[in-house]
Amino acid sequence: MNQEATLERGRRAFSRLTEYSWAGLAAILLVLVVIMSVVSDSFLSDFNLFVIFRSVATAVLIGAAQMTVLSIGQMNLSVGGIGGLAAITSGGIMDAMGLPVWAAIGGGLACGAACGAFNGIIVAKTGINAFIVTIATASVFLGLTLGITSAQPYYNLDPGFTAFGQARLAFFPMMGFITLATLGVLAVFFYRTLVGRQILAVGGNLGAAQTAGIPVGRRIIWAHVISGLLAASAGMLWVSQLGAAQPMIGQSWLLVSFAVPIIGGVALTGGSVRIIGLLIAALIIAVIDNSLVHLGIDPIYVELLLGLFILGAVYASHVATRSGKPKRSLR
Amino acid sequence: MRNALRHNQQRLGLLAVTVVFWASFAIFAQGFLSDFNLFTLLRFAAVQIVIAFGQMIALSAGQMNLSLGAIGGSVAMCAGGLMEVFGLSPFIAIPIGLALGALMGTVNGVLTVRTGINSFVITLATASVFTGLMLAITQAHSYDDLPSAFLTFSRIRVLGFPVSPLVLVMLLAAVLLWLLYNKTKLGREILAVGANSRAAAMSGIPVGATIIKTHMLSGLLAGLAGIMTAAMLADAVPRIGMDWLLPSFAIAVIGGTSISGGSVSVFGAVVGGFLVSGITNGVLLLNVSNFFVNLFLGLILLLAVSLDRIRDVVMTRLSLGARE
Repeated sequence: MNQEATLERGRRAFSRLTEYSWAGLAAILLVLVVIMSVVSDSFLSDFNLFVIFRSVATAVLIGAAQMTVLSIGQMNLSVGGIGGLAAITSGGIMDAMGLPVWAAIGGGLACGAACGAFNGIIVAKTGINAFIVTIATASVFLGLTLGITSAQPYYNLDPGFTAFGQARLAFFPMMGFITLATLGVLAVFFYRTLVGRQILAVGGNLGAAQTAGIPVGRRIIWAHVISGLLAASAGMLWVSQLGAAQPMIGQSWLLVSFAVPIIGGVALTGGSVRIIGLLIAALIIAVIDNSLVHLGIDPIYVELLLGLFILGAVYASHVATRSGKPKRSLR
Repeated sequence: MRNALRHNQQRLGLLAVTVVFWASFAIFAQGFLSDFNLFTLLRFAAVQIVIAFGQMIALSAGQMNLSLGAIGGSVAMCAGGLMEVFGLSPFIAIPIGLALGALMGTVNGVLTVRTGINSFVITLATASVFTGLMLAITQAHSYDDLPSAFLTFSRIRVLGFPVSPLVLVMLLAAVLLWLLYNKTKLGREILAVGANSRAAAMSGIPVGATIIKTHMLSGLLAGLAGIMTAAMLADAVPRIGMDWLLPSFAIAVIGGTSISGGSVSVFGAVVGGFLVSGITNGVLLLNVSNFFVNLFLGLILLLAVSLDRIRDVVMTRLSLGARE
């Protein structure tokens, strides 16, 4: 009798779980992790987990930068460009100017916010498609990065700053805490604050948002500024991890920036964000990437497999959202 | 009528800007009009324009092709490998390469139509699949021992002018595209689908098939640009196509092709290509650090789309004023 009740409760909990949009993703992740921990001895080692979580820490921020702009129904092709410019800004402040870490971090974030504001203001004021605007500004930011540095990295960084990129608590990288805190702030922002809700409303239905009296232009600028801040954070974490402010930081982010939110269930049409989906999607990508190395697969195939996987994941999530009942969004 | 006028003004404006830039470089940048510089500049412009054609055709149907560079690189490597490793003549290797480009484009088209997923996402993912396949097959080798017939084609001068035959290839492609849009049913259908796919479907246009054909042609043009690049570099290297994203959109959009579909300008893309390539080349000759070239290209694209927008707003206000 008692057992039956427990069973019933379990069944109900399970069916409630499958209502979440990220349940399928979590299942995929679980299967991957179980397979890998059986196949490879070193997969669950502290150091390997540290490597995986560290790449997740930056991938989530890169994906979040894209997600914020996707949430207003636009795209940001300059996420990598902003990340690179913020990275060398923070590096330059420490190396060329010899200022302390807090100035470098402040400068990097300010740079990201300024780049985002630049994108947002152009998009909001001119009404030109954000895709074209950000493809152009991506080139502007890259040009500035290369021009300022003459394509040379900044090496003389604060030792504390670079040590942070290697620091860990058992298997968990210290930079992971920054990512988790950022996700928490984003969740509160999008679900609990007026500005956040208004951004989602603009993405959901621009005309309706306008009619409802939401300052659409300012919300678009907000979204781009937040995107810039997130991209800048990711750029600086890369610097701390690499131990040098490389001008090429950000040049390989385009695919990841879209793959993470899209696999995580964010709609390209706007109006939605997925915090937990973002995290799980980044974990899946990192685990696959890491597994290919562990299985001794030639790195030359990694890009091919990753592309195929993204294609499959996009299709799966597309089918899932088209058929079946509407899923509960996040939380 | 007003629309036609607007279009003509836009093209004339672009032509004027291009002439002004070329003239200023001719005056201020030493060696801009030298025989050697003109030859390499025109050849570079020809390749850039064909790249933009690949994006332009996708945009005209309301699609995007982010795998343009991946297809171009794959086709260049395929043709290069066939010539160097298998010793095939360029006359066999090039058609096979182009067929591969068309096939890759078809894959994009079929995936887009069958799944109903945005072509942006599809081609972003297939770009990494195509590049991955190409790297896996070629093991990232480069083919620099290409047949001399293939190499001379990009080096000779047409009738003694500083014009590479690659420029003629570009012009031929431009004429064919102009005919496609102005004289064929397929061209009109592509524009109709781009303007409003639902309306197109209701008026009996096979929307899915048209989108697939558009992607096929986009892939074909990307392949052509890839082979032209290999001929220009005298080397089929895996990194061909990696820097095509910006010029492909910039030239097409500066040329007046709308990113939302339904309008196209072949002539505009040609002029836009000469503008962008001229600026890239001229800025380098002015001894500006080449690290800043990206900055200039980005600013020019921003300026071009903003000017377009400003003129639109002014024109609407003027015409409203006239009506009152």
